[in-house]
Amino acid sequence: MRGVGWSLVLVAALLLAGCGQSDGKTHIYLQRFFGECGAEFGASTDVGKSEGECGIMTSMINRFNAENPDVQVDVNVVAWPGYPQLTAQMAARDPPDLVTMHSGVMSDYAAKGLLEPVEPYLGKAGIDPGSFTEASRLGVTMKGKVYGLPWDTHGGLWHVNTALFAKAGLMRGGKPMLPASPEELIRHARQFQARTGKPYLIQSLVGDPAGAARNQYTYMMAQGAGIFPDSRHIRLATPEGLRVAAFFRRINVEGLGTLDMDTPAAIAAFMSGEGGIYPTGTWMIGSFEKEAASPGRPLHRSYAVFPFPRLWGERLEYVGGHAWAVPARERSAKQKDAIARFFRFMAAHNFDWARTGHIPAFKAVLDDPKFKSLPHRADIALLGEIGRPLPSHVRRQSAIEGLVGEEMAAAVTGQKPVEAALRDADRRVNELLGELD
Amino acid sequence: MERGRLTPVGWAALVFGALLMIAPLLWTILLSLKDNAELVGNSGAALHGPYTLENYTAIFGNGSTMRWLLNSAIVALGTTAGVLVLASLAGYGFARLDFPFRRTLFVIVLLGLAVPSQAIILPQHQLFAWLHLHNSYPGLILPGLIGPFGVFFMTTYMRGIPKELDEAAKLDGASLWTIFWKVILPLTVPAQSTLAVFTFLGTWNDYWWPLISATHSDMYTLTVGLAAAQMNYAQTSGLGFLMAQAVFASVPIFIVYIVFQKQIVSAMAGTAVR
Repeated sequence: MRGVGWSLVLVAALLLAGCGQSDGKTHIYLQRFFGECGAEFGASTDVGKSEGECGIMTSMINRFNAENPDVQVDVNVVAWPGYPQLTAQMAARDPPDLVTMHSGVMSDYAAKGLLEPVEPYLGKAGIDPGSFTEASRLGVTMKGKVYGLPWDTHGGLWHVNTALFAKAGLMRGGKPMLPASPEELIRHARQFQARTGKPYLIQSLVGDPAGAARNQYTYMMAQGAGIFPDSRHIRLATPEGLRVAAFFRRINVEGLGTLDMDTPAAIAAFMSGEGGIYPTGTWMIGSFEKEAASPGRPLHRSYAVFPFPRLWGERLEYVGGHAWAVPARERSAKQKDAIARFFRFMAAHNFDWARTGHIPAFKAVLDDPKFKSLPHRADIALLGEIGRPLPSHVRRQSAIEGLVGEEMAAAVTGQKPVEAALRDADRRVNELLGELD
Repeated sequence: MERGRLTPVGWAALVFGALLMIAPLLWTILLSLKDNAELVGNSGAALHGPYTLENYTAIFGNGSTMRWLLNSAIVALGTTAGVLVLASLAGYGFARLDFPFRRTLFVIVLLGLAVPSQAIILPQHQLFAWLHLHNSYPGLILPGLIGPFGVFFMTTYMRGIPKELDEAAKLDGASLWTIFWKVILPLTVPAQSTLAVFTFLGTWNDYWWPLISATHSDMYTLTVGLAAAQMNYAQTSGLGFLMAQAVFASVPIFIVYIVFQKQIVSAMAGTAVR
């Protein structure tokens, strides 16, 4: 029993130690994902010298605190993606002042009045929503209101091994030749495989529903398909949907892509030079670029990256984005002012964030020669213009992506007939949307 | 089983089995000692040097790690102590005392075994919000005290203790509390140890409730804190760090297993329950 007594004393001491905070500063409570890297960047304010999402983010917030001595941003790092915690905080009426949020989940919170429209903060910070890229603006706008400060666009890219492409005779003018139609893709893939003995596409089709959904959404959008005709329904089992799924099934029937890889395996395979193209996101650019700069590595000086090529219809691509959202709660005028200043600071440093590989959220940064001079950025900047999020009336986008991705992976790998997978995806998503209040 | 009677084939099977069990642990440790960048392209690099401690340095370089460790220790010890006290008292009541609706109450407690914690997470979270107990030690400890298994376990154990001991104590003028404290409780030490070990391990490894109750990083337990410290693509670009976290988080558990090995084995073998 003595042990219990000591435990209680210890608990009481810790509770008392945690009380009190009177430094005369205006505190705003910021919650973010992207991990913890305090050991490396905990004291850094040199944003330009920081690296990686976590490093750049940490340095930026440190810098903001240093430049605004009357404000203290208290940071809470949450396990990715942080929505279970945020939802719990909202249920307990104790949400943070600022939170990192994917544009795809904003509709869930905004629809329930849990986010503040941010126009007043933007106005105070002197930020015009018209300065956002098209992809970013669409991602944070719901029913005509802006619910977050966008600060990047991320989406699918084709990461290319140019050494293998050269061996396959698929380089022209120092650039890889990407297909402009389904038939051309098949021709290229066959040629690639015949000359290199390796698969044209490295695909992570195991446990990566987001990747499979991204592909399906992108090429259906390009064909002008209305994937979500209203807020309660999805329509994938359409001629456009069938065309996309059946085509990627055909690629796999011909053995032109890998089938049994999860994300880590696919990344390792691409880095090891085991295939021509790895369709994955903007977030991998930094890692692949590092490989490309390392002598002796299979990707050394053999890496290029581009948005998904146009195979059908218009050149559009499904994208998402990160934004700073402001959960609804009571705040003092000083806290509101601090949030506006934080927005202004983040907008001014959007270029720094773009060094992570994400596409800037501001047109001026996207067009800035400084951005385009970063490795590969000139090739992928287009994503800021052709990127399209799902319609803002669609809620539960993350859950839907999981369902669609699962069915599409089953379709293209042959676990299910393509038509059945599309129908099943429609049914499952419609059931989910039908349950929303 | 006597060691001398084991045949060479038996030994070989044992060694093979042991290697099979230890291989994932060794693999985890080797990965934790490698540079993250080296593992991105080929995790097989863990099989050869150079090795580094930088992933462990990064864990300790995070100023919050020791705080999370302390939080986990407080929550796990607090919950364990609470469960032992409550389960012992309840077990004594159900096993020894005669009071109205005793059987009905016991059945109600047992029904609690059939209710998964996920089923009550929403009202539980709401309740703790109303009581302003989130982001506090009581908020992390109290839900763990609801332990129908502990009550059932202690009741069963105490029922196995001969009632003649109580009667002898009564003849000596002992009160119910004295009988509980001085006669029954000392005889339940094996069961208490078993219950303590399982409660401690379960609480230490708990992730779901601390994730949604402790939403401020200074109140994170180790499981939640380490998860928060991971980058989005930890399994690819931070594999060494991820494995170092796994090793670090399992060290206290490992120590508990070593110290209480006897109790755990007897609990697994069912010998702690008469």
